[in-house]
Amino acid sequence: MNHRTPSVGTSTPRRGVDDLLTGRARYAADLDRPGQVHVRVVRSPLAHGRIAALDTAEALALPGVLAVYTADDLPDVRIPVRLPFAETAETPPLLQPPLARGTVRYVGEPVALVVAEDPYTAEDAAELVDVDIDDLDVAATMAAATAEGAPRLHESSPDNTVSTVSLRHGDVEAAFSRADVVVRERLTMHRHTAVPMETRGLLAEYEPATGLLTLWGGAKVKHFTRQALGAMLGLGPERVRVVEVHVGGGFGVRGEPYPEDFLVPFAAMRLGRPVKWTEDRAEHFVATNHAREQEHEWEIAATSDGRLLAFRDRAWCDQGAYVRSQGILPGLLPALHAAGPYRWEAFAVDSTGVLTNRTPTGTYRGPGMTEATFARERALDLLAAELGLDPAELRRRNLIPAAAMPFAFDAPEQPHVPPVRYESGDFPASFETLLDAAGYEALTRERQRLRRSGRLAGVGLAPYVEIGAVGPFEEAFVEAADDGTFTVRTGVSSLGQGVETVLAQIAADALSVPFEDVTVDFSDTTAVPMGFGAFASRSTLLAGNAIALAARDLLAKAAAEVGGDPGEVRFDRGTVRGPGGATAPAGRLPAGHGRFDKPHPGFSFGAALSLVTVDAATGAVRVLRHAVLHDVGRAVNPELVRGQLAGAASQGIGGALLEELVYDEQGQPLSTSFGDYLMPTAADLPEIDVFVVEYPTPTNPLGLKGAGESGMVGTPAAVANAVADALGAAARPVTRLPLTPGNVRELLRGTPSPQATTVHP
Amino acid sequence: MNETGSRQDPWLPPLDPVTVELDVNDSLVTCTVEPRRTLADALRGAGLTGTRLGCEHGVCGACTVLLDGRPVRACLVLAVQARGSRIRTVEGLSGEREEPTGPGEYEGNGENGEPGGGARLSDVQRAFRDGGALQCGFCTPGFLMLAQGLLADEPDASAERVTDVLSSNICRCTGGVPIVSAVRAVQRARKEAGS
Ligand code: FES
Ligand code: FES
Repeated sequence: MNHRTPSVGTSTPRRGVDDLLTGRARYAADLDRPGQVHVRVVRSPLAHGRIAALDTAEALALPGVLAVYTADDLPDVRIPVRLPFAETAETPPLLQPPLARGTVRYVGEPVALVVAEDPYTAEDAAELVDVDIDDLDVAATMAAATAEGAPRLHESSPDNTVSTVSLRHGDVEAAFSRADVVVRERLTMHRHTAVPMETRGLLAEYEPATGLLTLWGGAKVKHFTRQALGAMLGLGPERVRVVEVHVGGGFGVRGEPYPEDFLVPFAAMRLGRPVKWTEDRAEHFVATNHAREQEHEWEIAATSDGRLLAFRDRAWCDQGAYVRSQGILPGLLPALHAAGPYRWEAFAVDSTGVLTNRTPTGTYRGPGMTEATFARERALDLLAAELGLDPAELRRRNLIPAAAMPFAFDAPEQPHVPPVRYESGDFPASFETLLDAAGYEALTRERQRLRRSGRLAGVGLAPYVEIGAVGPFEEAFVEAADDGTFTVRTGVSSLGQGVETVLAQIAADALSVPFEDVTVDFSDTTAVPMGFGAFASRSTLLAGNAIALAARDLLAKAAAEVGGDPGEVRFDRGTVRGPGGATAPAGRLPAGHGRFDKPHPGFSFGAALSLVTVDAATGAVRVLRHAVLHDVGRAVNPELVRGQLAGAASQGIGGALLEELVYDEQGQPLSTSFGDYLMPTAADLPEIDVFVVEYPTPTNPLGLKGAGESGMVGTPAAVANAVADALGAAARPVTRLPLTPGNVRELLRGTPSPQATTVHP
Repeated sequence: MNETGSRQDPWLPPLDPVTVELDVNDSLVTCTVEPRRTLADALRGAGLTGTRLGCEHGVCGACTVLLDGRPVRACLVLAVQARGSRIRTVEGLSGEREEPTGPGEYEGNGENGEPGGGARLSDVQRAFRDGGALQCGFCTPGFLMLAQGLLADEPDASAERVTDVLSSNICRCTGGVPIVSAVRAVQRARKEAGS
């Protein structure tokens, strides 16, 4: 490759793919250490109860069993919240202990840990641990948890709520009093989650001689896990090393600190043997973060010509039985995304986290924004129907114009709430790009053709904004070697995203060297002292800019050595050359260092468009066409970003139509296998049309915006709107997901829902 | 192994390890396993970790291997049941149809810029790579083996048939549609090459 051709903006083939294709790649379950032993977690079979007795004698007597730990063996620690703004005064007493202390609060909560020589033996022994639990009344749903006289989950929360996030902008009452039309609806998103194909897995090894603990498998937020473990295990963080290996999908749930991330290293330290844990799929369905379960009461005030005046959103967001490492994000993120890309005069949002006897929730790709977009865009379609306006036209009339950028709602500042500020972009033009490129007109004609042939067909739309670039900062180091290669070190994670390719592209351009000469190393917390990890579409943006700065620093250090300006020095096969001809061996240069700070997150625009048919007899929904558009600021690697968008949209279609984590009234999970939790396959999905637009943001030197989740955010909303359009006015409105055949048949059968109210003042 | 065979527990029968010889990728793999050990665990225990476990209940297909040419879920087969069969895993896939147009072109560390590569990829593997049919790669070995079986058995399978067969495995990252496209591309390329 000619190194003068910029790499950024080209679809450079992704690195490391051959290891994945040949089976050589090593995931957590593929790692072994000499002398390793295996653990199995004993989990609560009941949703709520007091542990009366825990008898481990029989398990301990099984040959091959080394230890059985209960809460009494552990220090009294809790899994901490990882983001300062997701922690409130209410959260500390609601945090989860690694093993239940006295009370169990959800089915699947860890109560004991069995260690054995062999994984099969560990599993056998776990069956022999006798857990005697006295039943307590169960708050199995948010409704049950917030009802009068509901069983209380935690002493510190008399009403089973965590925190309420309130946002206020403008004079809501005044705007509503001026409205020609008010639309109200209660909209429910169901519990579902990321379900990566690889379950979680960990391997921990403690070396007593050096006091060093190594944990393989922890990813996404390695540096936080290291700090948290260092504190919880009584080691300093400097004696904990977290090493990322290949991961089979993250999507928000993998790599957060979980109870097992404490238990596995704890056992390794206690026993002085390497300890390995591989989650099984049934465990995964009760142990790994759930997501999405929320109810929104939406109310919109508008004029008769389709101008949006104001909205109210009263939201309840299921936190499950404990607050986990993501704190109040399940309630905070939907609040930040309620307003979306529209110019509201006023709004009022109150979003409350609710504690229930279910698996705790966290973030899943497009967290909060996907739920908020579903609620808002569904309500907007109800308004469009009420006004007799084309849904696209309603959006068009209300999107924030480009001239208004940067745009902020004048909501008062609050300590736990990042400002909702849109830095850049052209929402109306991007929206038109989607309508033109995906052929909105053609799709509506196709809908009419299908309808004439007797089919139920519908088109649905959903514009949205997505938070990204969550700080606070990332650091990077760039080192040159005498063999002509460069190594980049950063604290973000890969998580199967191809991030290493994108970061190498950025470094190559910043150094004006060939892409092939750059390797990126972020697998290990020793590679870089601090980092915040891969979440909220932040890796490329924060680490990318940090790398660009580090490269510039390296060039400056080179210039100090060989003379000239940093822009004039050239690296050439292990030698650095100044403009005057002076040279130096590249390996002698100190590493370039860069740090990129992003105190406030940014938001970016996108939209989804869907054409569906519904089989009137079976209720089965088929997505015929699905298009997603996102403003990525600048596409470093267009192919990779398109793959991310299409994959996320596929997950969104699964979430809208198939996937649900179902519980019974006693809080027993009913979806604990792939037989019950239906995942989308090639037969359920269309080819996804992806449109990437680039409105570089001025707030970072590379102009990047986040994109890892964007295919998801508008997808369930667009599919729901398309299904509602297909079902028509005679059916009940679509107010909850998933749109399984059974649920769709219900809608087709019924008169309009009694909850739906349209008021003409 | 810790089983003694003399335990009194009536519900925990003796699990005396047996020695099994397996024909894997044309080599002999000898392993000592309890009769209850699955083929997937036995292969993984023998270092062939490309066969992955996504569910261990026969739905996701990450553990798919070829048993006498037929795709099977290795998590649902016991190691002892695979005695006498020819087993193919992803580790035996490279080298399949590796040079339809010329040597040297498909080195793993060529255009892909992969450090320490050097594996030759089969046409199916290359089609996956070039068609964006993988992201995290966890499902990939299972899909490759499923596709391998289908392409050998039904080279002229229709688009619907390919979708149908490939939707018996799950890919969370791509949804699976790009995998169908990759397999269709292999069908076309093989037809053109007249093989
Ligand atoms: S692991 Fe065998 S089918 Fe999922
Ligand atoms: S590539 Fe990740 S599951 Fe298929």
